Amino acid sequence: MPAGRDVKRGSSRRREVSDLYATVLEVVKRYHGAARITRVSYGVGMPVDRLRNLVERLLNSGLLKSEEVDGRPVYDITPRGQAFLDTYWKMQGYVEVLGRSNGEGPPDRS
Amino acid sequence: MTETSVPKGGHVRLGAVDGDLRVENNAHIEVDGQLVVAGRARFAGHAEVGGNFECGSFHSEDGTVQVHGDLVVREDLSSQDGAVEVDGQFRAREVDVDRGLRIAGPARAETIEVGGVLEGGDALTATTVSVGGRFHLKGLLTARAVEAGGSIDVGLVELETLEAGGLVRLQGGSVRRSIEVGGRFVSDGPIEFGSLEVGGVADLRGEGKGGSVEVGGMFSAQGNLSFSTLHVGGIGTIRGNGRGEKVEVGGKFEVGGSLELQGRLEVGGSVSVAAELMAHELDLGGRLSARRATFITRADIGGPVQTKEGLKAQDLRLRRKARAEGPLVGGTIRLGEKARAEDLFGTIVELGERATARRIFANTVRLSDGAAADEVTYTGSVDLRPGAQVRTPPRRADALPPFPL
Repeated sequence: MPAGRDVKRGSSRRREVSDLYATVLEVVKRYHGAARITRVSYGVGMPVDRLRNLVERLLNSGLLKSEEVDGRPVYDITPRGQAFLDTYWKMQGYVEVLGRSNGEGPPDRS
Repeated sequence: MTETSVPKGGHVRLGAVDGDLRVENNAHIEVDGQLVVAGRARFAGHAEVGGNFECGSFHSEDGTVQVHGDLVVREDLSSQDGAVEVDGQFRAREVDVDRGLRIAGPARAETIEVGGVLEGGDALTATTVSVGGRFHLKGLLTARAVEAGGSIDVGLVELETLEAGGLVRLQGGSVRRSIEVGGRFVSDGPIEFGSLEVGGVADLRGEGKGGSVEVGGMFSAQGNLSFSTLHVGGIGTIRGNGRGEKVEVGGKFEVGGSLELQGRLEVGGSVSVAAELMAHELDLGGRLSARRATFITRADIGGPVQTKEGLKAQDLRLRRKARAEGPLVGGTIRLGEKARAEDLFGTIVELGERATARRIFANTVRLSDGAAADEVTYTGSVDLRPGAQVRTPPRRADALPPFPL
């Protein structure tokens, strides 16, 4: 299963664009400043052409940065991108708690 | 050095290759005992190797190379836009694969970096493992650092650090330094850790032993848990006994056994401890429920208190309209306005306006306007403000009876 689907695994809610952004940022983060677009596409489980659009938006929003290495762009997460991830996961935590208090309970993978 | 080539779609039988090996797309190599390549093995596209395979280095591009046996790479293995599948054991120095790596048998490498999916059917030992997408392993995982952008689903672990963006599930083991997970962390068995930081949900289904725990949403430990600090944004649960330094929970906190803290317990919502609760101090927004509760310094409680054997603190304060079932023991006990309690035992007991108590045993007693008690026994002084009532006249004694707790 591609990483992108894991972000919201077990949840019945429709995957939002914020889930995709978080997935891309998490994968880019693993490469510590050396993320190539093809590598990220394998990690996210998304075709490169579609991924480029997301990456472009993340670059324009200052959540990712890029530089040329050996004539090819590589990507890295910015402090603003890390702040996005922190907020995103914190929000997911609140959603879990509200789901529990609403009697829904957390998704069980067993 | 000589090069042996296998043409596109070729079907050949090989044993020992003196120099390098070059294999074109859709080739199939039958193995004579064992395929041993002295130099480099290069694959362009899909290929199959029918048995055990050893080479100096391994590189593939744009396809899946399947090895139906063991694969031993004396130096490095790389795959550009490709995948590698090994039915047997695997050994290499540095591994760098774009698409995916699947290993059925035990695996050993110095570093493993996979862009997409890493799957292992047996034990894996490496210094570092980095996966962009998903990492799944059935056997023991031994490494210094493991990270994945997506999910990690592994067996027992012996690690220094573990980091994932989405989801981590493991059978248990030891992560000596840190576990950092964005979404959800599940350990199905006993786990030891240096620190645990999870954005969403953490579920320890066996015993837990570690340092700091920080969870944004929900935390649950199905067995006993020892920790240094436990910080939960939403709901925290320990089904067994809890032991640590400090707890901070935003919402509700439940403990199925006893809870022993060397420091502070701070909960925004409610606390429920089935057996004994001991801590240095308490700061509670809502309800407290325990068989007995003891705080070395102060306890500040916003909601109802329910104990069977009592609540004790050097400085005990119940906020406005709080209700207490079970004896309260101080130090100093202060009931806020309209608070209601049963028996109070303290050096100083103060009831706020229109607060009520059943029996009070204290050196010094102060009842504010409209406050009321059934009985007051004191050794020092009683200060009844206008409108304060004691059903039977306050009784001065030489000594107070032994306090509970």
